[in-house]
Amino acid sequence: MFELLWQGLVGLMALKYLAPLALGTLIGVVGGALPGVTITMTIIIVLPFTFGLDPLQGLAAMTGVYVGGSAGGLVTATLLGIPGTPSSVATTFDGFPMARKGEPGRAMWLGVWASFCGGMLGGLFLIFATGPLATFALEFGPWEFFSLFILALSMVAGLVGDSLLKGLLSGALGLVVTVLGNDPILGAPRLTLGIEFLEGGIPFLPVLIGVFAFAQIMGDVERMGRARRAAQAVDRTLSLAVSHAKVLMEILRRPFLLLWTSFIGVVIGVLPAIGGSAANMMAYDQAKKLSRHPERFGTGTPEGIVASESANNANVGGSLVTIMAFGIPGDAVTAVMLGALTIHGIQSGPLFISQHPKIAYGIFAAYLLAHPIMVLVIALGARWMLRIVTVPKAALFPVVLVLCTVGAYALGNAMSTVYVLLIFGLGGYGMVKAGIPLAPFILGVILGDQIETNLVRAVMTDADPWLFVTRPISGMLLAASVASVALALWQHRRVRRRAPADAGEGADF
Amino acid sequence: MLGRDGLAGLAVAAASLVLYWLTLGLQGNPLVPIGPGFYPRLVLGLTAALGLALAASDWLARRRAPRAPAAAGSAPNYLLVAAAFGVFFAYTLALPTLGFRVATFAFVAALNALLDPPRRARQWLRVVLLALGATVAAWLIFEHYLTVLLPRGRWTDF
Repeated sequence: MFELLWQGLVGLMALKYLAPLALGTLIGVVGGALPGVTITMTIIIVLPFTFGLDPLQGLAAMTGVYVGGSAGGLVTATLLGIPGTPSSVATTFDGFPMARKGEPGRAMWLGVWASFCGGMLGGLFLIFATGPLATFALEFGPWEFFSLFILALSMVAGLVGDSLLKGLLSGALGLVVTVLGNDPILGAPRLTLGIEFLEGGIPFLPVLIGVFAFAQIMGDVERMGRARRAAQAVDRTLSLAVSHAKVLMEILRRPFLLLWTSFIGVVIGVLPAIGGSAANMMAYDQAKKLSRHPERFGTGTPEGIVASESANNANVGGSLVTIMAFGIPGDAVTAVMLGALTIHGIQSGPLFISQHPKIAYGIFAAYLLAHPIMVLVIALGARWMLRIVTVPKAALFPVVLVLCTVGAYALGNAMSTVYVLLIFGLGGYGMVKAGIPLAPFILGVILGDQIETNLVRAVMTDADPWLFVTRPISGMLLAASVASVALALWQHRRVRRRAPADAGEGADF
Repeated sequence: MLGRDGLAGLAVAAASLVLYWLTLGLQGNPLVPIGPGFYPRLVLGLTAALGLALAASDWLARRRAPRAPAAAGSAPNYLLVAAAFGVFFAYTLALPTLGFRVATFAFVAALNALLDPPRRARQWLRVVLLALGATVAAWLIFEHYLTVLLPRGRWTDF
């Protein structure tokens, strides 16, 4: 394993791979720093640029975006009080007060080095856990895979959004998308509605791009024109100079906090579709609960910054484990990475590491190398990034939509995928307005074919439906999915009882 | 009366039931114990049930406690959203007819001008430069460096 990792690291040092990795990290940091541009949006923008690259080059660029984006949000969160991404919301709670107290450099670099440390701890988990988990998944038959996918879907449906019913409905709608077109076993046409294009089924990448890009862009567009926010004033005399050794020691003096919050980040990353936005809030909450001085939280305490930033970068490692070992995307960003793999004809899942060791260890290496690159990018460009945040969205959105269109078009060199983009863009925006979360929908679209294939394979092998329950791993996974729905039901009821008046229409990605 | 959730639930249930009905005509295959319609029926039945459940829960919630009217504030600018979707729709029509370069230039300029209407000549110049820059950069990067063949126009052959 270490030999393969070393080969991966040496291979990644070649300019051919290092350049896309560094560029991806830079774009990720900038995208993460831009308020209103999420990591998902950034990776969607980068996707079409990877089509002409070899798989590892493309995946290195995407890994760079993921790592860079997870840290980039902290720059504006600490220095301007505006979280660049949802995964840096909790960083503003203490980062911005610390900066306002006259320590902007300390606030930002505590976040950067905490991201680095958390990311590296997540990397350890990624490297050491992916192989054993993939080996464990190799024991799975179609019953277990079916149950695993059902568990992933039910967990996501229960954990996101403010209504379990809407989460489940969203997941089911995603599955509906996959039943249009030929059936995956015999290729018999079904539900094509007389449309020739549907015979091949609906490709999931234009669906994903359309749903996420339009939901976010149109959500911002509807707030434009009415309440224009004044461009954030950027203090050009701001000093970010700091003793890095001192800041690092400040983090390493709190080993339990760092380990615990990174662990939270990794676990949330492993769970499908929850993502860094939950990781940083939960880690912050845990840090506050475990602190001897919880009253200092929110006033500029370093613990708050360390907890939030270590968790959201460790989360990246966890998400990559799920996609590499099981073929289940941990969040929308890894869903795009899954799509990029599919475009190059590579199947993600338990056999991924053994069949494509160069790419798998290349991803590990890219993940590890992206962290020092991220530190370097922020060191060189933090002040410059503060100016970028003033780029008007009116100029940004048309360019992003052009890149989304090129990304969709290039998938099949056909306009039909662009029409899919538009249709699902409308659908995604409609879902957000109806308060239906998008994450279960996307997971349903990604897993739908796999669920059907494994269900049919299981029944073709042995028609006894009880095997889904009586085979130990399958039974446990199904029991866990029932438990996750029950837990979500209990949690939603508890929240509703506590806040009966809350009936907002929060957009949940 | 049903609210937003109820109407969405009913729409989903209706669409699912129509598709469910279409699956009834699918022929099975003797080689596969469960035919091509089995899984879609399972999924569509579940979706219809969830849609109806959402409609029912909305109806019950409204019966229990009628919702207060939304608080006054800055209402979402749906007209701008509709116009932005319209511009994108026009872009999807223009791509195969005018070609990537002409369509993209027009799209970027139109959407930029729609979202931030230019008033002075300098602002118009900025709109044109953005559209030109985005089009040329996208064309050069994708066509020349990444070998992605972008659409040519039927009318313009460009």
